[in-house]
Amino acid sequence: MQMGGSKKLTEQVLAKDLCSACGACVDLCPYFKAYNGKVAKIFDCDLTQGRCYTLCPKTGVDFEQLSQNYFQQSYNENPLGLYRRITAAKAGEKLGTGQFQNGGAVSALITHALKTGLVQGAALTDSEGGNPVARLVSTAGEVLECASTKYMATPTIGCLNQAARDGHRNLGVVGTACQLTGVAQMRQNPLQKEGFEDPVGLTIGLFCTWSLDARKFKDLLAGKVDMETIIGMDVPPPPAEVFVIKTRKGTVKVPLNEIRAIVPKGCSVCPDMTAEWADISVGALEGNPGWNTLIIRTEKGEQLVEKAVSEGYLVLDKFAAESLEHLNLGAGNKKKRAAGNVARETQCH
Amino acid sequence: MSILTDSHKGDRVLLMGNDAFARGALEAGVNVVSGYPGTPSSEIVENLAKIAAKRRLYVEWSVNEKVALEVAAAASFARLKSMVVMKHVGVNVASDFLLHLSEYGTRGGMVLVSCEDPGALSSTNEGESRPYAKMMEFPLLEPGDFQEAKEMMKWAFELSEAINNIVMVRSVTRLSHASGNVVLGELPETGSAARFEYDGTFFDQMTGPVITVPGITDFLHQRQQGKLKKATNLFETSPFNTYDGPENPELLVITSSACNLYCREALSILALQDRVGLLKLGTTWPLPPRLLEKHLSRAEQILVMEEVQPFMEDNIKALAVELGEKIRLKRFYGKKDGTLPTTNELNPDRVIAALTKILDLDYQGSAQSYQDKADAIMLKGAPTRDLTFCPGCPHRASFWIISSALKMDNRKGFLCGDIGCYTLGILPTGFNTIKTGHAMGSGLGVAGGFGKLGMFGMNQPVMAICGDSTFFHAIIPALINAVHNQSDVILVIVDNSGTAMTGFQPHPGLNRDTFGDPAPQVDISKLCETIGAKVEICDPFDVEKTRQTLLSVMAENKGVRVVVMRQSCALSPEKKAGRMHEMVIDETLCKGDNCGCAKLCTRVFKCPGLNWDEKNQVTRIDEVICTGCGVCASICPAGALQAKPV
Repeated sequence: MQMGGSKKLTEQVLAKDLCSACGACVDLCPYFKAYNGKVAKIFDCDLTQGRCYTLCPKTGVDFEQLSQNYFQQSYNENPLGLYRRITAAKAGEKLGTGQFQNGGAVSALITHALKTGLVQGAALTDSEGGNPVARLVSTAGEVLECASTKYMATPTIGCLNQAARDGHRNLGVVGTACQLTGVAQMRQNPLQKEGFEDPVGLTIGLFCTWSLDARKFKDLLAGKVDMETIIGMDVPPPPAEVFVIKTRKGTVKVPLNEIRAIVPKGCSVCPDMTAEWADISVGALEGNPGWNTLIIRTEKGEQLVEKAVSEGYLVLDKFAAESLEHLNLGAGNKKKRAAGNVARETQCH
Repeated sequence: MSILTDSHKGDRVLLMGNDAFARGALEAGVNVVSGYPGTPSSEIVENLAKIAAKRRLYVEWSVNEKVALEVAAAASFARLKSMVVMKHVGVNVASDFLLHLSEYGTRGGMVLVSCEDPGALSSTNEGESRPYAKMMEFPLLEPGDFQEAKEMMKWAFELSEAINNIVMVRSVTRLSHASGNVVLGELPETGSAARFEYDGTFFDQMTGPVITVPGITDFLHQRQQGKLKKATNLFETSPFNTYDGPENPELLVITSSACNLYCREALSILALQDRVGLLKLGTTWPLPPRLLEKHLSRAEQILVMEEVQPFMEDNIKALAVELGEKIRLKRFYGKKDGTLPTTNELNPDRVIAALTKILDLDYQGSAQSYQDKADAIMLKGAPTRDLTFCPGCPHRASFWIISSALKMDNRKGFLCGDIGCYTLGILPTGFNTIKTGHAMGSGLGVAGGFGKLGMFGMNQPVMAICGDSTFFHAIIPALINAVHNQSDVILVIVDNSGTAMTGFQPHPGLNRDTFGDPAPQVDISKLCETIGAKVEICDPFDVEKTRQTLLSVMAENKGVRVVVMRQSCALSPEKKAGRMHEMVIDETLCKGDNCGCAKLCTRVFKCPGLNWDEKNQVTRIDEVICTGCGVCASICPAGALQAKPV
């Protein structure tokens, strides 16, 4: 973990356009705020050491330290990170219907966790008129409202930070790799503040190869899609080369190269495809649109899955060796790309 | 009780320069006084307004200096005596009308008092208005002390009626805002009849139409120049041009205005009265050539001492060339040759420096050891103190909102500034939000220009800020221009219900006039709507809500949008009468210098009512300074600062 303050954060991340808007720095204090999908420093903080810089996933993460802390093991270069087992999964009947992404496993897991009191609330990503917004939920109904991937970089961890300041504890968080890396660093109390209480009870990671700049996405869709009518989005497997947007008024396909052009630069230096710092990581199941891939990493995650299955919220299935091979390849490629891009970024100042 | 009216002829009183001007105008029998507030001129109109009823005066704070000049001119055309007052930049605003007025001439005596600001103590520029007299061909007078300030006013009216043209009296901060002994004169009977005559021919100045048109401009111009010649002759024997010193001085110092006082002091300190002659000119345009010929011929070396531009210096040198063989070649010292600094005020020290250089004197003002001691103490004992908004100033809240909204919007948007208390938005007290700043009304003028650059790829949100008084002064034409030309711009009007920076004078947005009597009010937001802008009205003390409004207005991107941030000035009568809240701090909650706060309230927000207690590492509220506006409570990240309703 690197130490530094807001000035360093601005110089090394914001000014270099490496921010992926995870929100880890947002609402810790009055200085970093998120608006319309972007993070800004609104006044100058003169502290040379702060949580903002330390939690940021783009400022030199100490993977060894995280690994020891969460898994009591050394960090290895396994493309998928440390885990106990991988399974295919989908939401069980008990969850009911909803606009789920693929198998709806994330909604199922969070809903179950809330119902059993495993967590008291959860920081999720909702959508308001097509704009992704962070949201603190506490009921099953609210979870379903947040279902389906927004694909846009959203400073959701700011919502967690605000909730923690308001006194909420034992919260669940659903997020992508950068978001959960920020959370993982936060939970270690890096500035060693007296009286620090970890507000997080459960982390569910989302597979992510890239996200989209929310503002540029809106500009791209202007005239093509009414954002308020969007009910779901997806990237079908190759060789489709399209980005599919399902709306109440029909389906719109956008060429994938236009979408790639609006991926934040910060995504290019991210080595983590499967959200390694989570209790459970969830993504699509290749070739099976109604199912998810589930990577169970911790004891807590294992227990949640078992309970959810036994109470009809989750259904599991075998995860094929071929799928594992492809997943490893995809994740490994992302690590390689990131390594190259980081080298480039740190060479030219 | 007013020193202006309740004192008698022969009384020796301590008068501020501006009061000396005001008293002088009263002694001259002035009937109508107009102006626009501007430091260092404002007290003249202000104090005359207070005694207007007593002396049967009409006094008006006009919306801007051009209208003020026009109002005063009307009085003159109707055979009344009128005076118009402004600071130096106001003359720029009035200059279009001034050109026409001077070309035609006046009827009743008319005096333009221009109070300048060398060193820009209270201005955003270091300009001058003396060159207008030369350019527009009317006489210029400069009083050299407080008695002269009063006497010259009376004489200026007499001169104006002798030549039937406007006369400019020029003052500077160190006369207008300093005080000196003045022996008072007689106050005349009040009561004049106004009558505008227009039946005469185009050539009858006192009875014909008051019109400058092609065809007769040559005639008018020659008539105007004739008046100037008449004034020049009167200047040759004016008591306001004084000489002290030997008949043939080693060095002749020619000076005017407050520099007169600096020169006298310097000559006294250096004990040079027997070697150096001091010619103090009170009539500085046109220069009286015979008087100058006499003095120039008696010295080989001449030092011209004036602020700020080398106006007199250039004119005297030109005159010297014209006089040619009569006075022979002279050695001139002044600004042009580097003897005197070309910018900023003069003072006795700078005069001493020039004199010691020219006369090669060995002079040490104070011992070096003293200087060293003073330098050492300076930093600790007299630390640099920033200009700041008052405690409870709504502008602090407005800039907090604008600055953070621009950053959150994250498109490199910017704010064009204007003139008023809110000009301090350039500085840390206003979070360095303002990025352009020029003259009255130019904020929206410039922003309106930026707002048309979309076709060249300009995608930064453009904002301008103005106050309520500035709005009436010069913003309206710029607003109409922006609407009609479809500029994409946001105008933030920080409406604190008064012309605050210059002393809280009234303006048409208020329901009272210059005398404090009820008057029709012009509704700013309705006017903006009528012009065609989209208008939102907010309370800057409601920080979150107003910031949300501003962010959504910014998101609209197109067209002219006005956001009125309305909250009265902390120094306004209604605010001073009471408190909105009792402010308390829960020290157990204060995060102070730690991550999560970093002393936001005392280091960034910086209201003077909040102090950092270094020993206990918490913020403290200064109960004497705090006005209870409550804004700090809404920005405190820990909820430690609390506003209890009163």
